[in-house]
Amino acid sequence: MLITCPYCGPRDVIEFTYQGDGNRERPQPASQDLDAWTAYVYDRLNPAGDHNEIWQHSGGCRAHLRVVRNTLTHEIRSTTFARGGHKAEGRS
Amino acid sequence: MSPRRTETGGRIDRLRTIRFTFDGATYTGHAGDTLASALLANGVTLFGRSFKYHRPRGLLAAGVEEPNALVTVLRGEVREPNIAATMVEIYDGLVAVSQNRTPSLAWDIGAINQLGGKILSAGFYYKTFMGPVIGPLKGTRFWMFCEHFIRRAAGLGKAGTAPDPSRYERMNAFCDVLVVGSGPAGLMAAKAAADQGARVILADLEANFGGSANWSGETIDGMPAADWAQRTVGQLAGNDNVRLLPRTTVWGYYDGNTLAALERVTDHKEVAAKGEPRQRYWAIRAGTVVLATGSFERPLVFPGNDRPGVMLAHAAERYANEYGVLPGQRIALFTNNDSAYRSALALKKAGAAIVAIIDVRGDVSNEMRKLASEAEAELLAGHAVVATEGGKALTGLNAQRFDATSGALSGDERSIHADSLLMSGGWSPTIHLASQAGAKAEWDPARQAFLPPKPTQRWIGAGAFTGSFSTVEAIAEGRAAGLQAAGGSAPLASLPFVEAAPGDPDPAPVFEIKAKGKSFVDFQHDVTAEDVRLAHREGFVSVEHLKRYTTLGMATDQGKNSNVPGLAIMAEALGKPIPEVGTTRFRPPYTAVSIGSLAAERFGDLKPERLTPMHDWHIANGARMYSAGLWYRPMIYGLPGETVEQAYVREARATRESAGIVDVSTLGKIAVQGPDAAEFLDRVYTNMFSTLAVGKARYGLMLREDGLAFDDGTTWRLGEQEFLMTTTTANAGKVMQHLEYFLDVIWPELKVTVTSVTDEWAGAAIGGPNARAILASCVTGTAVDNTTLPFMGIVHGRIAGVPVMICRLSFSGEMAFEVYSGAGYGTRVWEALIEAGKPFGLVTYGLEALGTMRIEKGHVTGAEIDGRTTARDLHLDWMLSKKKPFIGSAMMDREGLIASDRLQLVGVVALDNRPLNGGGHVVEALDEANPHDSLGHITACCYSPALGKYIALALVKGGKARHGTRAFVSDPLRNRFGPIEIVSNHFYDPDGSRMHG
Amino acid sequence: MAEQQLPERQSPLEPEYHPGSHGNFEHGVDVILSETRPGSILQLAAWPGEEKRLIEAIRKVTGLALPDGAGGGVSNGARAVFGFAPGKFTVVDEAEGLASTFAGVITPAIGTLTDLSHGRTAIRIAGPKAEWVMAKFFAIDFALPAFPLGAGRSTNHHDIFAQIQRSGADQFDIYVFRSFARSFWKALCHASEEVGYEVQ
Repeated sequence: MLITCPYCGPRDVIEFTYQGDGNRERPQPASQDLDAWTAYVYDRLNPAGDHNEIWQHSGGCRAHLRVVRNTLTHEIRSTTFARGGHKAEGRS
Repeated sequence: MSPRRTETGGRIDRLRTIRFTFDGATYTGHAGDTLASALLANGVTLFGRSFKYHRPRGLLAAGVEEPNALVTVLRGEVREPNIAATMVEIYDGLVAVSQNRTPSLAWDIGAINQLGGKILSAGFYYKTFMGPVIGPLKGTRFWMFCEHFIRRAAGLGKAGTAPDPSRYERMNAFCDVLVVGSGPAGLMAAKAAADQGARVILADLEANFGGSANWSGETIDGMPAADWAQRTVGQLAGNDNVRLLPRTTVWGYYDGNTLAALERVTDHKEVAAKGEPRQRYWAIRAGTVVLATGSFERPLVFPGNDRPGVMLAHAAERYANEYGVLPGQRIALFTNNDSAYRSALALKKAGAAIVAIIDVRGDVSNEMRKLASEAEAELLAGHAVVATEGGKALTGLNAQRFDATSGALSGDERSIHADSLLMSGGWSPTIHLASQAGAKAEWDPARQAFLPPKPTQRWIGAGAFTGSFSTVEAIAEGRAAGLQAAGGSAPLASLPFVEAAPGDPDPAPVFEIKAKGKSFVDFQHDVTAEDVRLAHREGFVSVEHLKRYTTLGMATDQGKNSNVPGLAIMAEALGKPIPEVGTTRFRPPYTAVSIGSLAAERFGDLKPERLTPMHDWHIANGARMYSAGLWYRPMIYGLPGETVEQAYVREARATRESAGIVDVSTLGKIAVQGPDAAEFLDRVYTNMFSTLAVGKARYGLMLREDGLAFDDGTTWRLGEQEFLMTTTTANAGKVMQHLEYFLDVIWPELKVTVTSVTDEWAGAAIGGPNARAILASCVTGTAVDNTTLPFMGIVHGRIAGVPVMICRLSFSGEMAFEVYSGAGYGTRVWEALIEAGKPFGLVTYGLEALGTMRIEKGHVTGAEIDGRTTARDLHLDWMLSKKKPFIGSAMMDREGLIASDRLQLVGVVALDNRPLNGGGHVVEALDEANPHDSLGHITACCYSPALGKYIALALVKGGKARHGTRAFVSDPLRNRFGPIEIVSNHFYDPDGSRMHG
Repeated sequence: MAEQQLPERQSPLEPEYHPGSHGNFEHGVDVILSETRPGSILQLAAWPGEEKRLIEAIRKVTGLALPDGAGGGVSNGARAVFGFAPGKFTVVDEAEGLASTFAGVITPAIGTLTDLSHGRTAIRIAGPKAEWVMAKFFAIDFALPAFPLGAGRSTNHHDIFAQIQRSGADQFDIYVFRSFARSFWKALCHASEEVGYEVQ
């Protein structure tokens, strides 16, 4: 599998580290809403199809990427930097 | 008569004679011969014994699909089994032996299995060796008992046990166009793409490029096809943008147009050049792949079709035209299609007599009739072979009238005298790579073959691979594919002109002749047509089940010959058309791949070594090294005759009495820089760092998001916006990723850079009552007294002329300092400290003494921060700030994480004065015969010179409340049982008076 | 603290560094391996939006003008610079002390400066088979059009992280973590035996 790093270009998947479900929303740091924290820490989507994922190019530029990957075909629809990506609000 | 070398012809170098041995006998061959062709030329017809029945077997094919002639090649002590003799190029000194026979190939006692033919049918082993339902050998246990004997009787070659001294390598390659297969289609594709300026790789599993051109006997552009191929290869070789990979099998097609290939670099050489790998694993990333992998001729299924002397028609043609070897003198052919007629003519031209062409089709075209008469062959149209005769070589065959529509045989059997029977059951495109790459193959009723699926990756097919079996089509499709792959559309010169024998590519839909006797479908696994029908009768209707039950197609040839005939017989049994039975998907690897090539350069120690700047000093000064992750660290600096325990006890004792020094360069070090660095650290550590003064250090604890403990270490504030974080050695990488994740994904607004500086600094920790005096005697540019350098203070100075940074902190519990210098000066500073320590009896100490002193102090490491413990479990709750949220703060107080009966850190003292073991269990009552009811386990243990006892740290249920109570250690694995006392983890100097000075 | 002449740094390769020709060199040496031992190796990082100012600062201090684009770089023999990650650059100088030259220039408003002069080891591979040998280690395309002169790449060989700059048509400078350098060097020599190599 190849992932096209926006900085480094296409690289083998072995250069990347999977960093989890990209749909997770971290509660505000001071939040005491345990349900929200539990959902953030433990709940994961597991779709058969397109999935939002976070990958780190740990064997390259080390940037974190938002990757939309089809879990059935391994086809990668898009890859963008996680930094400055969408849903920046809600994170303090 | 036996097979023999022709007087002329072939692509071998008759001037070069090569000597080799097979089963101990010496033979000669010529350069360009394979082991198969050379042995055939020497009259050898018997190449192996079959898998199950030990039937004598000869050559079926001439290429990679050969199922019978598997040999073991010996190189010194190293043996490589199960290689097709057709793929072994001979070299002087080659030693090959046959397989699966005892004591010799000609006289094999295992052949007695043939008498039990009816018994050893499909599923025989599963059914017979299932064992009784009760008793010591019930069910599969009986199978496991019998398996050893069965495996010895039925099997292929034996793997060797000697270490393989060969070198293997991995190579990464990139290209615009990868062309797989170098027949006329592949050559045209490579040429067209290369002419467009594309970066091209052309790979072929054979030693010589050209594919069928090397033996087809056709003419291209007025010259023999083989010469045309050689000329084209010559043109390609002259291009900088072309890489030619002969002897290279592309065996895997993976996501992202990444392909795996195995190049046999020196297998055909007597000796490898210095540094030359035996095999090279190519990982190829291709823009577009042109699949020009050709096709396989299919065997026909009829009684005795496995007798030595029965061969695929094109294989015989190839032996004659490419190697100048005739497989027989009186040759008969048995076919369901036109291609065998061309083979007949080729063999006739090479000097053999063609005694008969037996064609299942009643209506043979006039063109074919003409070819038959040119070959002076008797044509038996509407006939089939129903039996073969002979032992270790063919002597004759019987034919009978045959109705291709009904499959019915009629009339008298006619006996034909022949020493070679060539069969052609039609052709199957070699679609393996396309199948690996994605969708299912499609059945073509006209071609009676599975054609490649629609591409799901970027590949283009050409030639026989697509079902276009003629060279004219191959050339046109090859060029079109090459152009398309290179993105070109340049005006075209005319295509090379091909002169070839005529022929209809569509065979008659006949796969099997049902007559009395064993008719083989899978030669290598000894699966017969009757086995397939038996599997159907027993209810195995899915093709996947059929495959597993009969093991059809599961041998090393992976069904290259048997796939389609097996399906056709299954389809008939089911009363369904072939496409409804379906086909199994081909998976990598296409051919067997050596483990060595996959391991490639990761030989010997497998992992790279990480060395500290003082590594060579440690080695030169008697350190026994210990591998900690990738790092190598001194375990002890043993004196002659000392045990490990004696050494670490001496080192730890000397440190507590005077001073000791240890290399701490392996600690993870991360530069945390930027205007928001302090804020960031407040969020990732449980305690406060924004309040830390410049020039001071603080011990910090990190939790994971789920509230469990993650890592600990000291972080030094070197400037207002600059921190040096240290982590445990083992967690350095994980902590770095953790920080990067939060900066990149969660808090992108923070202006903080984190950089691994582990390797920038050499670190030496010097501790003990005399440590300060030693430092004072060698440091310049700063004082190190209590005022200038208080506990957790940092100063800058010089040692031996180089800048150092000194922080007063302690892991050993003694007055101690960590001295950091640029890594390139590490040994220099280390030696200066050793020199300065001489008057004080400074000792060097290793990991064992380090561990001993930390156990005495009750400090935690990865053994206690094991991913299951909380800060409270480790009595670090004093570090949990209530003034701010931090990573893990919201989750750490969950009910289960604050329960009083959790495993908590305690100290343990052995009351029987015997060593304790890590992993030993703590129990309330001792029951050696039936150990149970663990209260927890020991995480670290040592002999404590400070206490004069064997002590340990342990995680024990409700441990804090158990201080002062007795318990037992229960370690049945190591038979260690005995009384212990549970105490505080702070064994030694609990108020820290020694380190505070 | 006043700058004073510093002693020579110890190379991590020393016991495994054997000048001379090795491997299959009878037919000629196809790669030359060396440790370049630059005095300064720095990492410069710009905050998002400050990249241009950082690039300008680099130009002012080193005289090297970075070309546009990810992984762009340039070298002039004595000094080299290349991008290896978004907003991050490696700057190398033959001479020691480049960090202090930059110290006043890279202000907290622009980004950060991290001195890695000891922490990274610089290994040079040059010669007609340099691309061939490099391809044994790294799954990146070393062909000149894909990896232009001066450009930088971040990649890894198993556990060994590497930054690579193309410093010549057939020359690459590889920056590896010092602790891994000897292990990598041994592997590099081993892989170069096939083509014949010289250690300078």
